[in-house]
Amino acid sequence: MSKLTIGVFSSLVGSLSLDFAVKLSEAAIKKGHAVDFWVSGNATMLSKKGQRAFKDYSALQKPVQELLATGKFQITACEACAEARGYHKEDTLEGCKRHSMDWYLASCFSADRVLHIGGD
Amino acid sequence: MKLGVLVSDFRNMDDTLSRLKADKLGVILVSNGVYHAAAKEGGKKSSVLEKSPHLYVLSEDLQSRGFSEAEIDTRVKSITYSDLVDLIFTEYEKIIWI
Repeated sequence: MSKLTIGVFSSLVGSLSLDFAVKLSEAAIKKGHAVDFWVSGNATMLSKKGQRAFKDYSALQKPVQELLATGKFQITACEACAEARGYHKEDTLEGCKRHSMDWYLASCFSADRVLHIGGD
Repeated sequence: MKLGVLVSDFRNMDDTLSRLKADKLGVILVSNGVYHAAAKEGGKKSSVLEKSPHLYVLSEDLQSRGFSEAEIDTRVKSITYSDLVDLIFTEYEKIIWI
């Protein structure tokens, strides 16, 4: 089993890059790999609970919960980015973590592959 | 170094791609980057297709934009997310997103 670390910066829920990153995570886990997923900037909203799914609109809370249930997927949000957006600890989706960027750096150093998706 | 480049946008990327040096350069077209594989501007194919002999397009993103695999350039190989995972772990040592 190898580990892929994905960092997503800035993208809002509903963005193409965030959809891509979640689907890539699903495919990696199906093939037996582990995935660390870091969300920063606006992408922190992916780890917020209470997301409502609309028809014809990308909804990622359920896929994220299914990924967490595999035990091979970790998602951590940038704590400062979340707080700056008025998203507090009690709003965090169950199973998601919040941390400083040290978590992302440590994950990158221990990963077999890193995909850093920059802001848009 | 074997470098895989995920191209996610449909714009001129000549400068960026030309500056990347690798023993093996793979160009993987995803999101709006899939237009490089199928669309023409002024009758010309995208210059991105000249940057590497190792060209891939994510089939799901291609189909969601109304293209069939019959419409892509013959140099481009259509891949699934599962294929992409294999490329990341077995074909390329570094992966970047542009």
